Amino acid sequence: MTSFPTVAKLLAKSLDVPLDTIHPDTELEALGADSLTVIELIFDLEDEFDVKLGDERPKLVVVQDIADHIDIYLNKKAAVL
Amino acid sequence: MTPERVVITGLGAISALGAGADANFAAALSGQSGIVPLQLPFERQRPAMPAAQIRGPLPDLIKRAEAPLFDRYALLGWAAASEALAQAGLSADADAVLRDSSGVFWGSGMGGAQTVEAGYVDLFVDGKDRVRPLSVVAGMNNAAASQIAMKCGFGGAVNNYSNACVSSAQAIGEAYRHIRHGYAERVLAGGSEALLTYGVVSAWDALRVLAPLDADHPQRSCRPFARGRGGLVLGEAGAAVMLESLTSAQARGATILAELVGYGASNDATHITKPDAGGQARAMRMALAQAGLAPEAIGYLNAHAAGTPAGDLAETESIKLVFGDAARQLMISSTKSMHGHTLGAAGALEFVLTVQALRARQVPPTAFLDDVDPECDLDYVPLTARDVPGLRVAMSNSFAFGGSNAALVVRDWS
Repeated sequence: MTSFPTVAKLLAKSLDVPLDTIHPDTELEALGADSLTVIELIFDLEDEFDVKLGDERPKLVVVQDIADHIDIYLNKKAAVL
Repeated sequence: MTPERVVITGLGAISALGAGADANFAAALSGQSGIVPLQLPFERQRPAMPAAQIRGPLPDLIKRAEAPLFDRYALLGWAAASEALAQAGLSADADAVLRDSSGVFWGSGMGGAQTVEAGYVDLFVDGKDRVRPLSVVAGMNNAAASQIAMKCGFGGAVNNYSNACVSSAQAIGEAYRHIRHGYAERVLAGGSEALLTYGVVSAWDALRVLAPLDADHPQRSCRPFARGRGGLVLGEAGAAVMLESLTSAQARGATILAELVGYGASNDATHITKPDAGGQARAMRMALAQAGLAPEAIGYLNAHAAGTPAGDLAETESIKLVFGDAARQLMISSTKSMHGHTLGAAGALEFVLTVQALRARQVPPTAFLDDVDPECDLDYVPLTARDVPGLRVAMSNSFAFGGSNAALVVRDWS
């Protein structure tokens, strides 16, 4: 499972940018997403996927980095189920 | 060093009377109020309570990504501040010199109250185990001041005043001193408040200082100086003034709206809620002394008068203490009869209206004052606005729970 489509959808909504401008390799900074935007986004993604991320602070540069980070938790969740 | 003269080059306001300083003043002159039956945004309601509530969407001034950072009080603040900034002819992309010599002094009683309350609802009502990530930076009392400074690119001092209902009057007064003594060339000063939430309104209700709803005529629910007045009506607002040294304003070729010439601040030091005429008088006298004016120079006084039985009487008494025989010639009005008590924003909102009164030579009335309390025996400009061609100097009073008092004196510039 990949969370990218949901990451892109929520990011487009919070930044008020067209969804088709967000690609896996799009840099977060280029989109205007700062560290606080990402914290908000991850909070909403946790709700969306019913997962709880840990305290690790991965380096998030492009949109796919966020999706990869979420996917780790989705895969863990799937393994448990 | 000779103290700098301090002038006003921009005004901004948003309240239940409307969006924009001109809309607010026009509504105040008309004697109509923005008071309506309170409608809280969520399920829980306080029925039969009046409020000077801003209905409808606020001006669309921030990006969607910024929304989690802006509590309603910060939105109201930026709406007012951006208007004052624009009228002053200043833009947000300040150059280095402008940036370093410009500050923001802001007032709010409870800051991001809606954000804080939403967090409590999440935790204690909805049983969640977490709150929104930006709750701290949206809810903190200096959030609006900081956001305004960032939006303006003002890198001088940013001071936040949380002193109940004098918060924004004090912000303006302290900004005046700041410029006067050369610490900055300009300060965007004012305040904002948005605490029409179930929890905050309930707390005010429990204190038994709120006016009951006039069910037949909700807009008449706040009646300062009237016989049988029932208390204050809570409101929400943002208001701002661009204060600037005369040197800076003239160098920029800015349009000067008025000159701030006096500020007085005091504390009753007697009781946490009960007003004291002596304490109020000290603030007014200090403001007059700083302005170098005799009491009879003041043509109009925008009173604090929130509509409480004790408060309006104490202010009538303190005005008599300060003005003596001149109190009988003084035009006094409480615009709270129309925009309600906007708490931390009140001082700034009423100061903006006072500056406009001076410029228009028109005094807004105390609305709905058709039955004056015999113990309140001064001229409260009842019901209708007055044309006052000779109006040159005005004062605005603000008093607070906790005993603080502030008075501002403004002189016309023409």
